[in-house]
Amino acid sequence: MEKADIPVVKRSLFSWVFPGNAKLQLSLLMVIAVMVFARVVPLEMQKRIVNEAINLRNIDLLLRYCGIYLASVVFFSILKYLTNIIQTIIAQRATGNMRKELYRHILTLPLNFFRNTQPGSVVNSLVGELAMPGNFVGMAVSAPVTNVLTLLAFAAYLFWLNPLLAAVSLSIYPVVAFLVPMLQKGVNRANRKRVDAARTLSSRIAESITGIHEIHGNGAYRIENNKFNRLVNRLEKIRVVWSLYRFAVKTSNGLFVSLGPFIVFILGGYLTIKGQLELGALVAFLSAQERLYDPWKELIEFYQVYQDGTVTYNRTMEFFDVEPDHVIEPHDRAPYDLEPSLDVKDMSFMTDSGIRLLDGISLSLNAGELLALVGFSGSGKSTLALCIGQLYKYTGGHVLIGDKEVSDLTKKDMVHNMGFVAQRPFIFEGTIEDNLLYSCLARADGTDGLPSLDDIIAVLHQTGIFVDVLRFGMNTILTHDQNKELVDVIIRVRENFQRDFGEELSDYVEFFDENQYLFYSSVAENLIFGAPNKDDFMDANLCNNQYFLDFLKQADLTRPLLSLGAELARQTVDILGNLPPDAIFFEQSPIGPDELDEFKLLVERLKRQKLHELSAANQKKLLELGMRFVPGTHKMVALPAILENLILEGRAMFRQKISNDSPEAIAFYDISQYIYSQTILNNIFFGKTTTLNPQAQEKINQSIIQLLIEEDLLETIIQIGMHYEVGTKGDRLSGGQQQKLAIARIFLKQPKLLIMDEATSALDNNSQTRIQKLLETRWRKKSTVISVAHRLDTIKNYDRVAVMKAGKILEIGTYDELMARKGMLYELVGKK
Amino acid sequence: MNSSERNDANPSSELEDNLEILRQTYFFSGLPLETLKVFAYLCTREKFKKDEYIFKQHEEDGRAFYIISGSAILERQDNDTSKKIRDCAEGEFLGGLTLLGEVRRLFSLKAAEDTICLVLEREKFTKAMEQFPNIMPLIFKAVAKNIDFWEERFLADRADMCGECMVNLGVSLI
Repeated sequence: MEKADIPVVKRSLFSWVFPGNAKLQLSLLMVIAVMVFARVVPLEMQKRIVNEAINLRNIDLLLRYCGIYLASVVFFSILKYLTNIIQTIIAQRATGNMRKELYRHILTLPLNFFRNTQPGSVVNSLVGELAMPGNFVGMAVSAPVTNVLTLLAFAAYLFWLNPLLAAVSLSIYPVVAFLVPMLQKGVNRANRKRVDAARTLSSRIAESITGIHEIHGNGAYRIENNKFNRLVNRLEKIRVVWSLYRFAVKTSNGLFVSLGPFIVFILGGYLTIKGQLELGALVAFLSAQERLYDPWKELIEFYQVYQDGTVTYNRTMEFFDVEPDHVIEPHDRAPYDLEPSLDVKDMSFMTDSGIRLLDGISLSLNAGELLALVGFSGSGKSTLALCIGQLYKYTGGHVLIGDKEVSDLTKKDMVHNMGFVAQRPFIFEGTIEDNLLYSCLARADGTDGLPSLDDIIAVLHQTGIFVDVLRFGMNTILTHDQNKELVDVIIRVRENFQRDFGEELSDYVEFFDENQYLFYSSVAENLIFGAPNKDDFMDANLCNNQYFLDFLKQADLTRPLLSLGAELARQTVDILGNLPPDAIFFEQSPIGPDELDEFKLLVERLKRQKLHELSAANQKKLLELGMRFVPGTHKMVALPAILENLILEGRAMFRQKISNDSPEAIAFYDISQYIYSQTILNNIFFGKTTTLNPQAQEKINQSIIQLLIEEDLLETIIQIGMHYEVGTKGDRLSGGQQQKLAIARIFLKQPKLLIMDEATSALDNNSQTRIQKLLETRWRKKSTVISVAHRLDTIKNYDRVAVMKAGKILEIGTYDELMARKGMLYELVGKK
Repeated sequence: MNSSERNDANPSSELEDNLEILRQTYFFSGLPLETLKVFAYLCTREKFKKDEYIFKQHEEDGRAFYIISGSAILERQDNDTSKKIRDCAEGEFLGGLTLLGEVRRLFSLKAAEDTICLVLEREKFTKAMEQFPNIMPLIFKAVAKNIDFWEERFLADRADMCGECMVNLGVSLI
């Protein structure tokens, strides 16, 4: 793009009109030229129909002129539609390009910028505010050209018909052009007042609602009403003035435009009576006069879009008019391969508001050494790590990696050589695999040089997320057409599980026992007690399946389940009604976050209507909800014993019924068969786990890993587990899992300089120790490691330890040296 | 869970039982009912077999426990010797501070018999607190009051038995 060198925030709104759209704009101009011509033709035809065809009573001429009239009107409409299409394409393309360019710019802005900027305002700028400027770009050529040309064409035609009449009737427009903007100023003034008054009113309402208990407590209804009424009255007056101005604009514009025909009638009529103007010409004149109004109105509208578009565009671009701290990538060379030694000389970092967060920092580190930064919170250790990693731009002194000054390096140089694990790592929506490869993909610019599966598995082990990924894999439901061989092996694993661990783990598993109610399975699973082979019997379709509904009725289950659904809906909405749709809140809910609004309405309805009065659709929704109820998970409702027994009886009834009517529809739970409706783990157990207790989970994991290794299945399950979707912001992962994933993605990249900012704080002891050992053995000598330490027992084997306080390094040396010195580190260790 | 554990005529849900427990716990008792319901919902129940550890010294498990049934022993290990500190009985709430920040366990808690605990994880607690920022002061107030109360009671009952440890008193001054 030719504009690539000018930052997007410096570009004018007009710069979007032609670049990239030149061909479209040109074709638009051509279409407009033809269109204006097609607009004038009907006027001439009107004149000829009256003067020639009607006057001479010539039917042939009448038909010919009417035909031309019709053709030009149809042609005009087609062209008009065509201009709309081109205009829309240009507008959308411009909006899209503005968004892409601005987003690209925003991502490169310094971290500091985002401390003072709400994500909401970035979203609003990118999504909402650029639409109006985009519309302007779409209209920028077509609207003025079309309307000015049309006005000129009509005016020329009028002059051609009768110069005197044309001059007199067109003399109105300069008056309108002067008067309308004056009135518009009044509109704008009143509008600003209206916005302010409405805002005051809103905050008043918000205040009184927040303090409603005080109003009730004092019985202060009258006082609050008076305050409110005053504001409403003020707003009312402002709105009246605002509306008066608006109508004044509209009316005066209309009035003056209507004066045109008046002048034509009085002057044109006089001229026609005197024989100086033909009747046909008068008709054409009147018609042209009326049609002047449309292009005139469109021009005024265009003027408003231009005003609004420019203001919005400039405000948006000004907001983001901040320079990135560093160049993103080098233009004329490959990224440097840096020698990962570190030399920091008298470095300082000051915030925009002048607070010195780092002062006179000097330290040096040989390639392959380990440095620990320690100190109390706020001592500046994280800030130092961020400055070395080029995430903050230091404001004084030097930081050299190899022999290169960090502030002169491009982002790409840094990313090529450095890996950074943040204190609060961020996980993006997508699969585990997407997130694991995130850093490698960002560095690779393609798929070359991505790690192999063996590398990935090794890193999963090193970071301790292996077991989590294994569990995600184990919790996958296989489809009929997927992994046929796998299914056979899993059946074998099931047998081995029963033999080796069945008894030991029986406390943590609820086995699929035909005679027992399954408290960790849904009502539907309890009733069907098998895997459906037909879609009709899938969970999602059960309540649409008439056969199943008839069965529920026969088993006396319809009403109890309906009422169970209603109670679940009431309780869940009561608890989760005002919470955000985060996965953590919905883990134990039978209602999904996207269904919550629907159920809120239904619960409202339940307050006014009895169950049997609800519509069939609403009853179905509640029945579906009842069918989902898992007593072991959905703790907001208890399962009455009577219903438990009814369902158990129902299970037997259903089995008998379906075996007679359609035996192939369900594959009943059978210890020798794979169950396609259940996860791999449940298949191995032939049941479901009943506990979240970490120790129990650990026991289960160990046994499963042993069984999978025996059958050489571990890698396959890990591969399945890597397709687990982590949810928005990774919210389907725990804090520890997120941190392990963040470390794994950097370990996979194998950077020469590794910076870890309290990177293991959310991990369990074992994972922390494992990672610590790795740094001290595998990474030592190969990479330079800078670790902001949150635990002092982890730093004993570091090559250097720097103790920081209030933005300064107080002491630096090996752990033993500093301890022997009995200085700050000694004190810190003592306190911890 | 089986039907014999429930009151069949009018079974109360686990959530209602949890709510009742939280209302009697100093950490939560001052909170508005709407918020308490959310915490009661986020709690889970866990069974620990005799001699199983509920939490272990040095671990940063980030969970608070309320002993619903059974009992447990609080221990501390120093230089490879394990010392019993005291028994923890039914109805005891342990680990409020772990909900507020990362704290490594200074003690271990071991089930003395089969024990059922109500468990709340810090991650869930924190997520929920983000939704009710204005109740945080109530919790801080409850915790501060409890620490103060603890030391006051300690000083009244045991201060004279302290001996050399006297200089380390003053946890309420932190």
